[in-house]
Amino acid sequence: MFATAIESARQTLWMLRYRRVLWIVPVALVLLFVFAFVVSGRARGSVDGLHLYCVMAWWGLGTVLVPWTTLYLGVQAVHGELEDRTSQYLFLRPVRRVPLLLGKWLAVSLVSALIGCAGAVALFLGIGARPDLWLDGVEAGPVATYALVLGLGAFAYAAAASFFAATFRRPLAWAAFFVVGVQMLAANLPVSAGMRRLTITDPLRRVLLDQLEPSDRLAADLWPAERPEAREVDDLPSSFTLEAGSPLVDLMLFVAVCLAFACWRYAATEYESRSRD
Amino acid sequence: MTDGEAILEFDGVTKWYGSVAALLDVSFDVRTDVVGLVGKNGVGKSTLMKLAVGLLAPSQGEVRVCGRPAQSLDARAQIGFCPDFDRLYEPLSGVEFVAWMLRYHGFGRAQARRRAEEVLAELGLAENMHRRIREYSTGMRQRVRLGQALAHGPSFVLLDEPMTGLDPVARAELSEQIRELPRRGVGVLVSSHVLHELEAVADRVVLVHQGRLLAQGRIGELRDRMPDRPHRLRLRAAELRSLAAELAQWAPVEGVAVREDALEVSLLGQRDFYDRLTALAAGWPGGLHEIAPLDDDLAAVFGYLVE
Repeated sequence: MFATAIESARQTLWMLRYRRVLWIVPVALVLLFVFAFVVSGRARGSVDGLHLYCVMAWWGLGTVLVPWTTLYLGVQAVHGELEDRTSQYLFLRPVRRVPLLLGKWLAVSLVSALIGCAGAVALFLGIGARPDLWLDGVEAGPVATYALVLGLGAFAYAAAASFFAATFRRPLAWAAFFVVGVQMLAANLPVSAGMRRLTITDPLRRVLLDQLEPSDRLAADLWPAERPEAREVDDLPSSFTLEAGSPLVDLMLFVAVCLAFACWRYAATEYESRSRD
Repeated sequence: MTDGEAILEFDGVTKWYGSVAALLDVSFDVRTDVVGLVGKNGVGKSTLMKLAVGLLAPSQGEVRVCGRPAQSLDARAQIGFCPDFDRLYEPLSGVEFVAWMLRYHGFGRAQARRRAEEVLAELGLAENMHRRIREYSTGMRQRVRLGQALAHGPSFVLLDEPMTGLDPVARAELSEQIRELPRRGVGVLVSSHVLHELEAVADRVVLVHQGRLLAQGRIGELRDRMPDRPHRLRLRAAELRSLAAELAQWAPVEGVAVREDALEVSLLGQRDFYDRLTALAAGWPGGLHEIAPLDDDLAAVFGYLVE
């Protein structure tokens, strides 16, 4: 099973090389650097470099680049093969489908995490190129924090993409509904509503709260719809403890549930693209 | 695997899609021979193929490959499937694609590549196997599909419309390759709309219509099992009208029609017709030039059965 998953991941990585969306990633990174450099030049005197970096990284990378890139790549890797029926070549082999799917998830997660990390670095280089903007000097610490958050997000969004791709005929539409519907709705509900565990953004938000310990102003810019009490970090479990309610455990649960459903659908005996509506 | 053992067995297989029956109580087997699967579009051929390779599960009955359920991993190791759709991993080369598939059969990376090169060379793709699949002609793509079906050394191969899109030379080569498979101990189930080509490669046929198995066996045997259907012959000879008058008096002859340059003879039973015809031909002025059956082929048999 492990060898099959690794081989599936290797083959998926190889095939992802040919996705045109990946060809524009280097260009997008350069544009991101230029954009950050220009914006930071205009922001001189009105905002701190760290503040600007955190806001741009969260809104630009955490809510746009990583989610959409990951969902697109994940859907293409799983659903694309089902739609054009090339998945049948794999399903005829004497291997189980679950490791095939897990390999695809792993490959998409790694690529997306890499893109997210590269984006965090490009943004930092753009804003860091103006040291006078940073009140306490240029700090590289937030880059690692965002790289971590975006990497975790990539694994979770790839799991969601696998679930949508294995379950629905129009997975990108469902993915869009999840990102701009479920996640935004949940983010605007009180914490006590308990909906936040259905999202990826909330655990990521809590990792940032824990790691960055943002000022009230930064927190308000990062999560403008958030109630002030939800920005309190004292009662939150630490990000990386393995206790119930910690962001890491919540993300792991999200990934596990998505992958379990995805595997169940993908491994269904009579799984064909035509029968999935 | 010996000739006597069934490699693929359908045992009372029924397949429902909701309230629609795609296959009803189908039973047949494939041994180390070539079995042709014949039926019109939408009669359940694709369903039957997918059941055979384990992509679908029967609603009732059993499908076994080498004695194991078709959906088991053991069975899948014994199956090669050449699908009818023309999609492959376009950015890869033919040899990469086949090698990738072999990796899931437990082949090491170098071993898979070697075996892929071997099988594609055998299929006549030696010079082009390293080019990208998207640059291939239809015939080359078909060879790649066939290559991935054969490379792991299966005991049983399903070929779904393998002749589609091939030119006559490629069709002849493919027919020869299919005929070769039983000699290597491989059972073959092949479906095709081109009935005369199917007839050329198949030892037996399975005829499916509206989800039911109409008949199975050798084409000649199937034709002989329809005594109520007159056999039709074309005779070309000199003195056509005299010959027609002579034949019309023979007992098995139901009717004689004079066409432009030949007679069309309908026979009910053939007991001693050919012996008498041979004797007649020996003394006939100008001789008999041609005796050709008009409805002993697969298309005629299938047509009669469907009617």
